[in-house]
Amino acid sequence: MEGINTRKRLEADLAELKRMVLRLGKMSEEAVVKAVWALKHQDAKVAQIVLDKDDDIDALTGALDSACMHFTARYQPLGEDLRTVTSVMHMAVDLERIGDYGGNIAKVAIALADTELIKPLIDIPRMVEVLSVMMDRTLFAFDIGDEDAAREIFAKDDELDDLEKQIMRELLILMMEDPKRIEQASQLLNVARTLERAGDHMTNVADRVLYILTGKTVKASEFRRPKER
Amino acid sequence: MERVQISTKKLDLYYGSAHVLKDVTFDIYEKTVTAFIGPSGCGKSSYIRCINRMNDFIPSARVEGEIVIDGQNIYGPNVDVIDLRRNVGMVFQKPNPFPMSVYDNVAYGPRLHGVRGKEELDGIVKRSLMGAALWDEVKDKLSSPGTGLSGGQQQRLCIARAIATEPEILLMDEPTSALDPMSTARIEELIRDLKQSYTVVIVTHNMQQAARISDRTAFFLLGDLVEYDSTPKMFTSPEDKRTEDYITGRFG
Repeated sequence: MEGINTRKRLEADLAELKRMVLRLGKMSEEAVVKAVWALKHQDAKVAQIVLDKDDDIDALTGALDSACMHFTARYQPLGEDLRTVTSVMHMAVDLERIGDYGGNIAKVAIALADTELIKPLIDIPRMVEVLSVMMDRTLFAFDIGDEDAAREIFAKDDELDDLEKQIMRELLILMMEDPKRIEQASQLLNVARTLERAGDHMTNVADRVLYILTGKTVKASEFRRPKER
Repeated sequence: MERVQISTKKLDLYYGSAHVLKDVTFDIYEKTVTAFIGPSGCGKSSYIRCINRMNDFIPSARVEGEIVIDGQNIYGPNVDVIDLRRNVGMVFQKPNPFPMSVYDNVAYGPRLHGVRGKEELDGIVKRSLMGAALWDEVKDKLSSPGTGLSGGQQQRLCIARAIATEPEILLMDEPTSALDPMSTARIEELIRDLKQSYTVVIVTHNMQQAARISDRTAFFLLGDLVEYDSTPKMFTSPEDKRTEDYITGRFG
């Protein structure tokens, strides 16, 4: 019965790797969501909490990396196990990057906490809402192995792109009207760009989830609207 | 374009009433390493024993279908089995050198096929031992008994013996399962070199070994060839659920 016990141990360790990914995803999502909240509400204290937690995200990413190496050394995985462990290593990089983005946005929030905002923030919080849904759905798809849920993510990324363009247009007009707004407007533009990038990282994660589940690499473009010329 | 070396068509093998291989059809390519994996009793060893008609030794064995090597069905009426076995060398699980000197072990096959000249035999023995990466270790003790070598050396001696008759095809039935990791690594390295000159077909229970050394992998289960594809594909994203379950250790 040794073979079956080995399989049980492998599955327990694999489940732990998955739990670590889910935890990392949640921490990164929280960082971005909180940072945007702090930006909107001009709350430097909350922004500082996001910055302080960045070390925890890095530590978990490091732990996940070693856990993947130990898993590989111990089991020499093949098939879906191999696809999972290599994908987890990629996913960790994408998720950790989103956590970093939370830190970047928190820094903007601190910088703008005591200045009057050039406009009420509406579309940036909208972007983070979309991103949050993407992250929840992708992690859910990864957790329970749902291909359809993973594929839904790609269309959501189009929404993020639209919102970013809209923000850019609006801020450009504000900057043209009054050059004194340029400094703050360019910071807000950066935030929008950062959130758009975070969406790209989530589509990478969704690609990986689909690879684990199907063994095939997907073309994200198949699930998105055609690119504008 | 790779050339097909062994073409198996609708092969069925029976041992008495037991149906050991069921309607197996696939091609093995020239100068590649093809690995066979599958749980014990799945038919993989029985299959490679079909390639050099070793199953002829089992009275109850019955073969239907064809194995075509270089255009000739080896189960056809005009086949010289001795010649077939010269062309298809075999290495077994446990090293089994003959109880004679290192030299005579290697020279045995060529002598059997009529080579008599000392110079010619010397050349064959040296070439074969070099081909099996054993020459440097035994060149000063060619007359000592082959059974006196270490396990890994004995297995390489058996490989030298198998290639001494200049076969095109080399069958290996779990050639490293009785060896330590270092000897295993040497044999694996040797197998990679051998494919420059031979078509290598290997049965292994060690999936990492199959992944390391083979170009294509075939998965057998209960006499069926379940899946056959490039080795990277088989071990990362196999098409068949049964292959996936086997390589991830869910059964077998």
